[in-house]
Amino acid sequence: RSRAEVDATLQTAKLNPAELLPAVHCLSFGPQASAGECCLLQLEPGLCAELEAGRSLVIRGEKDEQAVLCSKDKTYDMKIADTSNMLLFIPGCKTPEQLNADPASCNIIHSQIAGFSNNYWELRRCRPKLKKLRKLLMEDPYEGPSSQKDQTLTFSKYTTEDLLSLIQASEEEILHQLQVIDACKIEGYWRILEFNYEMKLLDHVTQLIDSESWSLNKVPLHTCLEELGSLEPREMIEHILLSYGRKYVDDGVVYFEMREDKICRAVAQMLLQNAVKFNLSEFQEVWQQSVPEGMTTRLDQLKGLALVDKSSRPETISLLKVEDLPEDNQERFNSLFSIREKWTEVDITPYIQDLCAEKQTVGALLTKYARSSMLNGVKVYNSRRPIS
Amino acid sequence: MVQIVIASSGTGALAQWMLVELQGEVEPRQSGSLAGSLLGDLHYTCEGIPVLIVGHHILYGKVVQLEKPFAVLVKQGGAPQPSPGEPQGHYTVTALIKTKLLFKTRPKPIITHVPKKV
Repeated sequence: RSRAEVDATLQTAKLNPAELLPAVHCLSFGPQASAGECCLLQLEPGLCAELEAGRSLVIRGEKDEQAVLCSKDKTYDMKIADTSNMLLFIPGCKTPEQLNADPASCNIIHSQIAGFSNNYWELRRCRPKLKKLRKLLMEDPYEGPSSQKDQTLTFSKYTTEDLLSLIQASEEEILHQLQVIDACKIEGYWRILEFNYEMKLLDHVTQLIDSESWSLNKVPLHTCLEELGSLEPREMIEHILLSYGRKYVDDGVVYFEMREDKICRAVAQMLLQNAVKFNLSEFQEVWQQSVPEGMTTRLDQLKGLALVDKSSRPETISLLKVEDLPEDNQERFNSLFSIREKWTEVDITPYIQDLCAEKQTVGALLTKYARSSMLNGVKVYNSRRPIS
Repeated sequence: MVQIVIASSGTGALAQWMLVELQGEVEPRQSGSLAGSLLGDLHYTCEGIPVLIVGHHILYGKVVQLEKPFAVLVKQGGAPQPSPGEPQGHYTVTALIKTKLLFKTRPKPIITHVPKKV
């Protein structure tokens, strides 16, 4: 199009050129416009900066899973959003500010529309799907160097790269979760310790603390490695100290402040896994006697690990680990309500806390997935639908 | 698991494109593909209001800074048989879109023949 043609159109349209900026974009469809090769991805906050910094994003999913998009440290659900409008994407098209800022801008700008669409990919931040991580690592827990299992060729071992290709989560979320579950790298593979082996290691350390009369807050790494290094690999000694203690340096020496709550919790798990249910008061007695000298057991250390039944006579306690429950919200609630018909908020919170999305509260989850009622003056929650 | 990588081509800064949002559909005047055909003239008033003349219509719109920018992705031809562990698809981020011109008002028809009063 020429200037003359543009001006003629303006005249026909009865638009006054004096009220318009001098530059005009003549839009036409580019040669590949209908090919549909381009698509639009709507970017959540932060993702634009990631792309501009040259970082990439990855879409992950098994064929039967809903796809997710992962940045370096976040995971998003993906969906196609339809719009009734037509979206045209045009390279080199300028805004009025840009035209005013550049006095040399051409009179006629021939812009080619690169493509068009009436839908785009929409993202929503979601919880990373990490349950699979524990499941994979539990296929072959590490039982110690003396175990025969590790001698045989087994393919149930995973490197970081393997995990990235199997789990719908970002790399940082995966690495963080590995730390949370106390996984360790053995010969390049991520491993979870088999529980009894883990307790054996912990027992070595607590016995040593006792025999050396160390303070629970000042356990020296070096001495542990020296004294226990003949019993177990040094990396495993250090790993158990890192898992159950907080590392610090005092005057150049590395110490660990042992984590009372975590140790008491592990001892409880060891006791509870041997039977379906325990008499609560008997359990509490045995539990207190079983933990290291100087540590105090408390029932609130067992949130998300054990469930107390206050309605039975005598009161009982049984093992219920939140990590054994389903990952999907509705399935989780179904599972909890089939275990117990009515829950108080205090009892159910540890078993649904991990379901909360970025700014969601436990209360919001309960409103959505449960129905409340009063029982003996206490607010309780039950299922919205009949549980078979 | 399927892994599809979305990455920029790596050669310099990402291009900034514009989005134009129109109501309804765009169809070629004569049946045939749209490729190569003209859409119309885009003007701006001195106050910065976009004015689009498409066929026999004038559309008035507004410039909108997108709260959530878009990335324009172009699918790359995939490798015939990617090995396990390698991504099974690749999209290149061709451009970012941070601004759109939204034309929401009803198009005003351009009357080209004014009947003469008889």
